[in-house]
Amino acid sequence: MSLNKNIWEVAEAYVAGSLSQQEITELNGRLASAEFANEFNEAVDLVRSVAGNGKQKRFRAMLRDIHQKQTAGKVIKKGLNIVLPAHFWRTAAVAASVAILTSTITIWSLKPSINKSESQYNNISREVKDIKKVQAQQQATQNQLIQKVNKNLPTPPPSDVKYTGTGFALTNDGYFVTAYHVIADGDSVYIQSQDGEYFKAFLVNFNAEADVAILKVEKKNFHFGKGDVPYVFTGSKATLGAQIYTLGYPKDEMVYSEGYVSAKNGYQGDEQQYTLSLPAGHGQSGSPVIDGKGNLLGLLTAVGRQNEANTYAVSSKALLELLHTIPHANSLRLPKTNRLGHMSRESQIEKMQPYTFSVKVYKK
Amino acid sequence: MHSPLNSEQQLLAALAAGQRGATEQLYQQHYHVINGWLIKNGGSSVDAADLFQEAMVVLFGKAQDKDFRLTCSIGTYLFAISKHLWYKKLQRSHREPVYLPDNAGDEDEGGIAYDDDINVHEEREAHYEQLDAALDQVGEPCRSLLKAYYHHDKSMQDIAADFGYTNPDNAKTQKYKCLARLRKLFYTMQAK
Repeated sequence: MSLNKNIWEVAEAYVAGSLSQQEITELNGRLASAEFANEFNEAVDLVRSVAGNGKQKRFRAMLRDIHQKQTAGKVIKKGLNIVLPAHFWRTAAVAASVAILTSTITIWSLKPSINKSESQYNNISREVKDIKKVQAQQQATQNQLIQKVNKNLPTPPPSDVKYTGTGFALTNDGYFVTAYHVIADGDSVYIQSQDGEYFKAFLVNFNAEADVAILKVEKKNFHFGKGDVPYVFTGSKATLGAQIYTLGYPKDEMVYSEGYVSAKNGYQGDEQQYTLSLPAGHGQSGSPVIDGKGNLLGLLTAVGRQNEANTYAVSSKALLELLHTIPHANSLRLPKTNRLGHMSRESQIEKMQPYTFSVKVYKK
Repeated sequence: MHSPLNSEQQLLAALAAGQRGATEQLYQQHYHVINGWLIKNGGSSVDAADLFQEAMVVLFGKAQDKDFRLTCSIGTYLFAISKHLWYKKLQRSHREPVYLPDNAGDEDEGGIAYDDDINVHEEREAHYEQLDAALDQVGEPCRSLLKAYYHHDKSMQDIAADFGYTNPDNAKTQKYKCLARLRKLFYTMQAK
């Protein structure tokens, strides 16, 4: 290619970065002429703009196409005139999760050392995969119906969320806690805040034996809520019969449940745990356990298999022990004052909301 | 968990290249958030689709720069841009004075950065609009030829066949002539 040939050819090669060293030297020589430089710059600008415009148009077209395919689940079945509600898939997922809870409970092996896997002990993270299986079946049936009407209808691709659990804030600036088994198997972890925003988090430290993990939101200057975390971490054990409650995300919205401490130790006498009489389901692993005075007693880890009323919680003592193994533990600004103590339960829950959130774990 | 696999930077690079998989993933992960938010704030699902796609185009534009690094997660960015675009749209329609609620964007890192990104985006859109107008006036076969090459990403080989040139080199020469005509039109329009 000779530079004398065509200014457009040179401009295109320049934009594509495919000029040889020799050509660049030659070009630089010619750019000394102001007239040529002006012409060349205009040509380069135009090539960039036309190519950029084209690329963006293709991107927009692709977006429209993706949108159409991903929202195809809401399509109307012509013959019967039934509109599938927008929340159909979510409802199906929740229904399926209930079905899984009541029927096929899978046992996760977590602590082989004490044979929990063989026993009546179930971690309560929600495994989205199972739900999705049921969802996929329903979707398949649905699609068959729809395809009778419209053969070209694409199916929305499944989300790649693998597990969901619940987390709660340790400090207002981004440290939080969840059950270790929720995140153990994933590639990346996000939390979803009250207004739906996702924040990526990284693992700070964990204790697999106790089933506790401490994570931190990646984003700088992140805050869960407006002030300090409203509850305090008590290292001492709660008394038998103490009234407790929890907030968690067994589905896409926050769920409140209450109960009492039914034994001071946990599964098979585990001293790091409590046994609670509290209804809990998949997705609630990692939920905070709080007494009526706003003390944080621990976090949910598992439910008993035969007796669903038994729920196990890791005590906050185990959590604090893990916390102190973090190198910069002293610089963590842990909440010092309990701001829930004198509030009604409703106000406590409202106050808690920004500090309790859904944890979503992704795995490819 | 120990090594985050879904690196957001990789996702951005794939998005910048216009890869469908990455774009679908972002759509899947974030569209419903904006849709939910907008419906709570008086918009419709149709508005949400427009808004989200516009925010994706803003991100796509930003990601074209290889040195571009997000200071927040992609989700946060898309959400903040969507909010800003929406409030801007409301302000322009003069319905009523609208104030950004304190959670629009992030107080700490400033809504200003998002506004800058949106301004750059709008300038570029205006620029592309002028370019399209010039392209419409450039006359045939130039209009179709340039569109086939730049908008539809067709190869010179295919274009030569479609437009009846004996070989790709002839089509190329014609393309350069067309670019020269487009330049004249475009810069005359800009000078006005």
